[in-house]
Amino acid sequence: MVRPGCAVFLLPVLCAAAGDDLFEKKIRPVLAEKCYGCHSSKSKAPMGGLAADTRDGLRKVIVPGDPGGSRLLTALRYTDPHLKMPPAGKLPEGVIADFERWIAEGAADPRTGAAAAAAASKPDLERGREWWAFRPVREYPAPKAGPWIRRKVDAFVLKALEDKGLAPSPEADPRVLIRRVSLDLIGLPPSFEETESFAADPSYEHLIERLLASPRYGERWGRNWLDVARWAEDNPTGEATNPPYPYSWRYRDWVIEAVNKDLPYNEFVKRQFAADLLPGLERSEMRALGYLGTGPVYHKDNRLSKEVIETLASDDWDERVDAVSRGLLGLTVACARCHDHKFDPITAKDYYGLAGVFASTWQVKRPLEAMEPEAEARLMWVLDRHHHLNAASKLLSGSENIAPEIVKRRERVLAELAKLKEEAAELEKRELVHAVSDAGIWIDGADPIVTWLDIRPGKPRDLPVFLRGNVATPGETAPRRFLTVLSKGEPRPFRMGSGRLELASSIVEEAAPLAARVWVNRVWGWHFGRHIVGTPSDFGTQGDKPTHPELLDDLAARFIANGWSLKWLHREILLSAAYRQSSAPNPRAALADPTNSLLWRMNPRRLDFEAWRDAILTVSGSLDVAASGPSVNLDDKANRRRTVYAEVSRRRPNPLLRLYDFGDVNQHVPSREVTTTPLQQLFVFNSDFFHQQAEALNQRAGGETGAGRVRTLYRLALARDPKPKEIELGLSFVAKRSWAEYAQVLLGTNEFIFVR
Amino acid sequence: MLGLADMLAGPAAAAPTRAPHFAAKAKHLIVLFMTGGPSHLDMFDPKPLLNKHAGERPSTVDLRTERMTGGLLPSPFGFRKYGAGGIDVSELLPKLAGVADELCVIRSMYTFNPTHTPARNLIHSGNIAATRPSLGAWLSYGLGTENQDLPGFVVLTPGLFGSLWRSGFLPAEHQGTAFNVSEVDPEKMIRYVRNPRLGEEAQREHLHLMRELNSAHLSDTGPDAFLEGRIQAMETAFRMQFAALDVFDVRKEPEAVRAEYGTTPYGNSCLLARRLVERGVRTIHVYYGQGQPWDDHKDINAKLRGRCPDMDRASAALIADLKRRGLLEETLVVWGGEFGRTPVSEAGDGRDHNPYGFTMWMAGGGVRGGLAYGATDDFGFQAVDKRVSIHDLHATILHQMGLNHEKLTYRYAGRDFRLMDVHGQVVRDLLA
Repeated sequence: MVRPGCAVFLLPVLCAAAGDDLFEKKIRPVLAEKCYGCHSSKSKAPMGGLAADTRDGLRKVIVPGDPGGSRLLTALRYTDPHLKMPPAGKLPEGVIADFERWIAEGAADPRTGAAAAAAASKPDLERGREWWAFRPVREYPAPKAGPWIRRKVDAFVLKALEDKGLAPSPEADPRVLIRRVSLDLIGLPPSFEETESFAADPSYEHLIERLLASPRYGERWGRNWLDVARWAEDNPTGEATNPPYPYSWRYRDWVIEAVNKDLPYNEFVKRQFAADLLPGLERSEMRALGYLGTGPVYHKDNRLSKEVIETLASDDWDERVDAVSRGLLGLTVACARCHDHKFDPITAKDYYGLAGVFASTWQVKRPLEAMEPEAEARLMWVLDRHHHLNAASKLLSGSENIAPEIVKRRERVLAELAKLKEEAAELEKRELVHAVSDAGIWIDGADPIVTWLDIRPGKPRDLPVFLRGNVATPGETAPRRFLTVLSKGEPRPFRMGSGRLELASSIVEEAAPLAARVWVNRVWGWHFGRHIVGTPSDFGTQGDKPTHPELLDDLAARFIANGWSLKWLHREILLSAAYRQSSAPNPRAALADPTNSLLWRMNPRRLDFEAWRDAILTVSGSLDVAASGPSVNLDDKANRRRTVYAEVSRRRPNPLLRLYDFGDVNQHVPSREVTTTPLQQLFVFNSDFFHQQAEALNQRAGGETGAGRVRTLYRLALARDPKPKEIELGLSFVAKRSWAEYAQVLLGTNEFIFVR
Repeated sequence: MLGLADMLAGPAAAAPTRAPHFAAKAKHLIVLFMTGGPSHLDMFDPKPLLNKHAGERPSTVDLRTERMTGGLLPSPFGFRKYGAGGIDVSELLPKLAGVADELCVIRSMYTFNPTHTPARNLIHSGNIAATRPSLGAWLSYGLGTENQDLPGFVVLTPGLFGSLWRSGFLPAEHQGTAFNVSEVDPEKMIRYVRNPRLGEEAQREHLHLMRELNSAHLSDTGPDAFLEGRIQAMETAFRMQFAALDVFDVRKEPEAVRAEYGTTPYGNSCLLARRLVERGVRTIHVYYGQGQPWDDHKDINAKLRGRCPDMDRASAALIADLKRRGLLEETLVVWGGEFGRTPVSEAGDGRDHNPYGFTMWMAGGGVRGGLAYGATDDFGFQAVDKRVSIHDLHATILHQMGLNHEKLTYRYAGRDFRLMDVHGQVVRDLLA
């Protein structure tokens, strides 16, 4: 759907507001990169008296509407031997043509005031801090009282509804409720017996406690986090330098266990950045480092130039900045890679301050069992060096009559490789995790034939601000540090190694209000099928505003006060009257609030693929609930495990997962789309999986026939008794077709994939 | 039935047709992708100086490429000018030479990365990272599909190639659907397309029961966009099984037509592409061969002699066939790889990757036939005259499809994204 907001963006600039687009896109970046160095109002004596960073200054050398009469253009064109700018070399023709067009079209220049340049390029911090998402959170008094209200969140929901003249829906039927909350919390449907016993005695709180205590719960909610963490077991491509991550499943297991244990969210985050640096943790917590250790890495062919490799490495760092900032803070910090963020108070220097943390974080295998620090350092170095040499040896081979210079390099690589081979093979036999360790990453381009990553353990790297995101134009150094707008005062440079731990601490301490809002909003969205902030990974000025701002703040404040406990948050939401509402349509309410943003009913939903497949396996009696361990191929016919244990590939996304809207885990997944396509239905009609599960379900129904068998199958598949009309339809179907085919139709129904 | 669902912005059965920004020249796009990077120097961009200076290494060719290279490698293939437009085509491609007046040959293409995967990502999605939506996904998003029984973006490939046809941050319904053309039997080409156990009559019984149960459920729950959409999608899927078995079966074509295209996977793919255009599919990507067949790092001359007849025959047959059927005008055909190859030799008899200058061609869809546009330098290394970037190519393709490349945006991660990001100009000289 094309958003209405797009209408504003007719002109070439994507990151700037409408108007003056040519200037923002084509002119200002060139001025900044090529001219300000000598011609700036910030220097005491701008050369030639020209301050190109102000509108008035620049006007001295241009005549709007008359490119020929503009000295600026004469200088750029290099036609006057005494006036050639920039002195380092003529700009490309295309750039000069942009200037010509800009002047011809009137030289629109949005910069105002004499010293506008600095102000315009730096987002206004003080005003920025006033943005709702950056303000402290606090609890609010409940704005309403009344019999409908069960939990505090209800008071906010009711107030918003009543303000619009709306009322909440009545409570859902217990049979609807138990199915809803079971699929929501553990991703599995209740049996007929469980449903009926709950209907007879609807002890809802007890039900929720039982579900929260189930090991199946972590498998469901851990999977939600894995979307945020863009978890996968390989890389966007699978080339010599970026092979798959064979031990990635250990991180997945850690996530599931941590969620089951209700590890406080702030601690959950910190361990994923720095479990190796936190005191007193069991060694198995090293698995948490997979969050950074299995991040997507691009192939860096050693035969490419230093500049290309540096670009690829900075793409890796950019991915980390993006995953962390959108995933944990709801901020699109990656927008500030090429220039200060156009809308949010985030500077390019902020960006490179964060990127430096990742340029100082080495993705490396580490042992699951504790080792002496020196032995571990040796292990990390050997395995990494062996990997790089091995990749380089492959890349430097190829045809037999290869250039002699390359042969020489290759021989050197092979000689070193031979020395490490045995030791590496021995070390690889240990139980390993994909983790990180502190080491600065530089690019060594000294050899014109082979470019190496230069990894320096213990030596962090501060990145320069790469002008326009280009590694060939480094600007001032950006010390590793947290985002200015979220810091109290000036942000302090990170001092401890890469700064990973300080970054994680900043997120959940200094930026706790925002981090809590973002997480509470995600959890709310997973429960309700609709977020309070509709753009869960963008809380900036371009994102949606909260539908219930006080509710979000109140809940976030209480979430922090209750020890960042996810299970506390679940209870708060699930026990509410808002969650327990019926999802039945209401034409009058739909007219006033067509998207149900005010929650006048529960949102009905389609099951995501994982819950749907797991539900089918459950009702057919085939589900293998074995937890943890290496992943299994989803398409393997013998695979009866929960879907969370299926292999997840970035390079070759499983077609079935993608068909059913599993995210593109090459990057952070803010939330899943829900699409309904004909190709999805072919899976229902024709796949072996459906056929086999239908057979199994039919077997489970025993030896009954006739209406009794219809009823048994309904109880097994849909946890209810059939209506007379449904019995009639079933019997007339099996008069022509088989019971197994009948079971297959039941599994494919809307009722099965739908949650009311 | 879907009216309400659509108004509620719920999931629909398939992307419906959407109006273009302006009158489109082309309604369909066929991309003939020569994976690996075909040699422009041996096919479309003759450089006599290569032969004259064979073995030498003038300073102008001292550009860094992926591998170590040596002196200039001559092309043994004779070139002649063809058609009213006088297009240069080498002896490797006699059939394409025969349709020279349909070809709009861009000899001044350049790209930004010398390595396969990033360069392929770039030409598919406008960015070297493997995260952005593919061109076909953008077209599906921007224009929807004309045939609700078939996917709007079809990929014909004999081997998987990662996810070049991804929808990235666009909704998953816009992703390309891949069909395995190493098979000719449609049942083997398309996942789940046929029920191995049940005939059409039996399936009709299934659908009937499903429809009854779902309708009863719907009247029980009340109107719901998803439920209505899925009922519709079931009906479509039922029809698609048979439609697809028909449309994807090249064996239904007359012998003479199959012979014209050739019965290789590429020949079959080109023929299938025509059949899909006839049925309203928006975008078809055809991949030549498994892996990276055009990646001729060594022994290039013999390999081109082996591979070109198949590519030449089928590509030319597609153009001629579309033209005969009056479909060429509304179908834009684009041919090329992720980059070209170097004039200097690698390993003595091969050519390395060349992102600095290479050739692509277009045909039909409102582009100027019989045109050779732009030029590389004397040795064919760098595009120097009327340079066309991948972003310019994308902008031009979108333009022909009726889309303003600056207006086709999608709001994601805090900003509006475009296929070409902030780059790209429509190359108007290429347009008829």
